[in-house]
Parts: sequence; C-alpha cells; structure tokens
Amino acid sequence: MTELTLPLRGLIARPLRTLLTILGIALAVAGFVALTGLTAGVQHSFASGIDENGADLVVSQRGAFNLVSSTVPRSLGSGLSAVPDVEAVSGVLLNITTADDAANIVMAGWPAGSFLWNDMHLLAGRIPAPGDQWPVILGESIATALDKRVGDTVELQFQPYQIVGIASFSSVLNQNSAIVPLEGLQQLLSREDVFTLYEVRLKRPLDKNDVAVARTRLMAAAPGFEVGDTEQFANSIRIFDLLQAIAQTISLAVMAMASVAVANTLLMAVNERTFEIGVLAALGWSPRRILRLILIEGVFMSAAGGVIGIILGALAMEMAAKTKFAAGLIVPYLSGWSIVQALIFVFIAGPLGALYPAWRATRLLPADALRRI
Amino acid sequence: MSLLVELSNVGRDFDSGRIVAVDDVSLAIEDDETVAIVGRSGSGKSTILNLVCGLDRPTRGEVRFEGRAVNGRAAWAAVRASRIGIVFQNFFLLQSLSAGENIEVALLGNLGGARQRRIRALELLAHFGLAERATLRPAELSGGERQRLAIARALANRPKLLVADEPTGSLDVQTSQSVMSIIGNVHREFGTAVIVVTHDEEVAALCGRRVEISDGRIRSDSRVAAISTPTPASRTR
Repeated sequence: MTELTLPLRGLIARPLRTLLTILGIALAVAGFVALTGLTAGVQHSFASGIDENGADLVVSQRGAFNLVSSTVPRSLGSGLSAVPDVEAVSGVLLNITTADDAANIVMAGWPAGSFLWNDMHLLAGRIPAPGDQWPVILGESIATALDKRVGDTVELQFQPYQIVGIASFSSVLNQNSAIVPLEGLQQLLSREDVFTLYEVRLKRPLDKNDVAVARTRLMAAAPGFEVGDTEQFANSIRIFDLLQAIAQTISLAVMAMASVAVANTLLMAVNERTFEIGVLAALGWSPRRILRLILIEGVFMSAAGGVIGIILGALAMEMAAKTKFAAGLIVPYLSGWSIVQALIFVFIAGPLGALYPAWRATRLLPADALRRI
Repeated sequence: MSLLVELSNVGRDFDSGRIVAVDDVSLAIEDDETVAIVGRSGSGKSTILNLVCGLDRPTRGEVRFEGRAVNGRAAWAAVRASRIGIVFQNFFLLQSLSAGENIEVALLGNLGGARQRRIRALELLAHFGLAERATLRPAELSGGERQRLAIARALANRPKLLVADEPTGSLDVQTSQSVMSIIGNVHREFGTAVIVVTHDEEVAALCGRRVEISDGRIRSDSRVAAISTPTPASRTR
C-alpha cells in the first residue's frame, strides 16, 4: 500500500461521480484544445497555403487586421522587382467568400504570367487563357465537396465563374480555394491598383543568409510595409491575436468551471468521508497528509480529464474542420505547446478546486469527524 | 515508571457552553498503568478519552503528554502517530481497504517503504491470528476478528499508550473475554499503558486503576491491582 492507494480507492468507490467530474474536466480541456488549436490552425493554414505557391517572402500591410484587409499598392512592385536578390514578384488579391452559397472559400486573384502559376499541379483542365470569360481553377477538395468538374459553373462573389481547371495542392487552404485572374477579382471587389500582398520569389540557390539579406533589402524598398516569410506574415495578422485572445478567454472560463466541478465533487467526497478522515486523523495522519490525500484525488481526476480532453479536443477539431462551411478555413492543429498549456491549466485548475475541500478536511477535529457516522 | 498523560483542570463545553461535558478534571496516568474510566452513558468518560489522545480540544485546562503540553492538530497527530494507539467500540476500520491495508494505513509516514509496512502488517496479523484474513475487507470479518484487527492497527506503531473506547461494547460475551485478554497481554508483553473506557464493571475490574466519572467530573479514583486476564468462569453477562 502506498500513499496513492487510498485516493484511488476513494475515486473508484464513487465511480459515477468520479466519471462525471473527469468528463467535466475533459470537456473543458477539449474546449481549450479545440479553440486554440483551430485558431492556430487557421493561422498555420494561411501560412502554408501562401508558402506552397513558391514564394519565399511576403510583403504586406504592417499590422493588417485580417488576411483580406491588407492593402499593398501596385506601385510598390517595381521597387521590389529591382532588389538584386529577387527573381520575381507577384501581387495577389485575396478574398473570402461563399461558393454557390454552399461553402466558405478563399478566392485568390493571380496576375497572368505570374510565377505562381508555374508550380500548379493540374489534375484536370488548364490554366486560364486570354479571352476566357471569368475562368477559375478550383482546388481538388472544394471541387469534390461541391461536385464540380471542368466546364461547370460556380458562383463566386455573386459572379458565375467557368471552371477551367482543377488543381491539387498540399495545403488545406489551397485545396479549398478558387484561383482566378487578378483583374476580374479586382474589378469585383473594386480594388483596382491594389493587392492584398506581394509574394516574392528569390533567386536560386538560396540559403538562410540569402533570405535574411533579401528581407533587409526588401524592407528598404518597401518602407512602412511588413516583409517576412509566410509564417511571419501569418503571425503579423492581428485578427489571429484577437482569435487567440477570445479562444484563451473562453478556455479560461471553461477551465474555471471545471475547477468548480472538481471543488464540488471533492467537497461532497470530503463531507461523505468525514468519518474516514476522522479515522485517519485518529491514526495520527497529520493535517498536511490529509490535505495531500484530497489533493491527490483532485490531481488524479485532472490528469485523467486532461488526457481524455486532449483526445476529445483533437477529435472535435477534426470534426469541425470537416464541416462544409469550415473546410479549408479551419484546419486541425494540435501542437505540443497547446498540449502543454492544456496540461498546465489542468494541473492548476484541478488542485485549485481540491484545495478548499482539502483545507476543510484538515480543519475537522477527529472527535467531531468520528461523531458523524 | 514515569508520567505519561496529565490532564490539569480540563473542561470541555459544547453548544457554546450550554453543555458542560467535562468539568475541571485533573488526572495523571503513569506509563505502566492500566486504567478503567467508568461511568454511565453520557457521563463524559469518552470525552475525557478524546481529550487524552487529542481527538478533541479542551475548552479549559491543559493536556500534557510525556511532560510536554501538546497544542494544535499537527502536534497531536504526531503524538498519536508514534505514541498512542486507539481502539474504538465500532472498530472504525476503513471498508475500502483490506485487513492488511488497514494496518498499513496507520504505518504510512511512520515506517518508510511499502515492503516494510507490508511485513509489519503481516507480523501483526499473524500475532492476532489473522494471517489468513490479510486480503479480506472488514465487512468479510467477524466482530471478534474486526476488533482484533482494530487492536492490531492500534499497535502498529508500537505505542506507549493504548486507549480503548468501549472495546467490548459491540461484542458477545466470549469475544469480549478474548478481546480483554488480548488487551491484557498487550500491557504485559509490550509494557504499553492502557486506558479503557467502559460502562462494564467486569471489564473495569480487569484494570489496575478505576476512575469513575459522573456529570463530567471525577467522582472516585482508586488503584486496585495489576491487570488480570479474564477466564471464562470469571465473566457472565
């Protein structure tokens, strides 16, 4: 018998209550993992989506609130192209809209002749050609989800587009995006002469130092604008900070509720086990040891809830990402850091909830406790 | 022979002083004594016992153990853990633990290592004829076995003082005799001082000293003879 035997037996002796409390903690942790994971997933999805198109650096508006609100003037392009390390630059206009009013989709407007078209892996059809009327290339996932083929029509931004190609991408964002000629999208959005960002491709061969040098030069060529790699670009978008803050606030509130659930369960357990605590005190268990007994029960429940919660959270993210309206925009992203954060929360919330019942247990006089049988 | 427990003008009130359970009790017990605290139900004898082992806190007066005033829950817990073994009328065994574990739980914190605790528990179970019952839960034991287990648990940490609150109150005549015999043997074998709270004069007669309580006060305190072992013929009920 060890010091863990008694708390474990205590929990097993009340299986339903223990299970419900663990479930409460698990749901709180799942909420945290899913909310923060999905927020990080969106960010990660945008970064990898832009990265995939062959760009090494991105020039965007400094401190843009969201992905589509960044505005970079067309006039910046010539200065960026003139930087010695730059092979090519391409303005890109991004927009989030609905496709056929059935799914949310990212529309990307690419200029004709841009290097972005070069690495595209077409599964069917072709890239838009001059003379095409509102042509679009759909990512494979969104084409499948909407049951669209080359030659079909899809309504984007209230404009019927003709599907000329279906392409395969590695990033979830691009798999669920629609790529259209830049001019048409600028016209639809009334954003002529501006882009959301410039994607910059550097000359090969390339090493880390080359990228750093090129970044410094591009910053000089585009003063007041953000220059960074795709990850830095995604991180600079302030809406992600807002989403993270909302996710963390909700998570904290849910964690607090889980802590109260632990407190309630253990308070009931302490009340029910007054006699047992009295016996232990009579046997010479110190108040500190009795406190530890109750805290260990809290930690056991929190640990179990934490592990189950992480699994539930990961499943919830997968399910959320599979819904038609979230496809491509929401990507499950379970990082080691979010698991660590969840476990830190759990190992604070659980014992915190157990602290008051444990303290109450230590305040009992053994004679009073033993009288209560 | 030295002073083990000393109560000096101890009082214990309940219900904001409306009930005086123990009033101005002074009692000194040596480390080789066997003491019976007798009295009717509600006389205050169990409250005195609770005060002797720090299970309760006196409203007035002072309790000293081995010459030192003991104050606070933690200090009393330390004294009970190493110096006092308690046997209750209703055994107060933990139902979620086996017989062996019920002894081991008293050793936690006093005897390091799960293996050592296990060995000590098995020794005690064997000593009290419960070796075969080590893995059984208290509910699976007879009344006599439970009380023997409770005594074994009380002796786990080799206490200087064994206190028993109505140890035979829940037992039949035969089992009571057996339990009192065991308590007598504990005194003789281990040199443990014994305090027994009882309303049973025959149990009290087995002790070397008799303290009578009435209305929370000591009415008489007399020394008779050393503890004796009951024989079946000496007891009727």
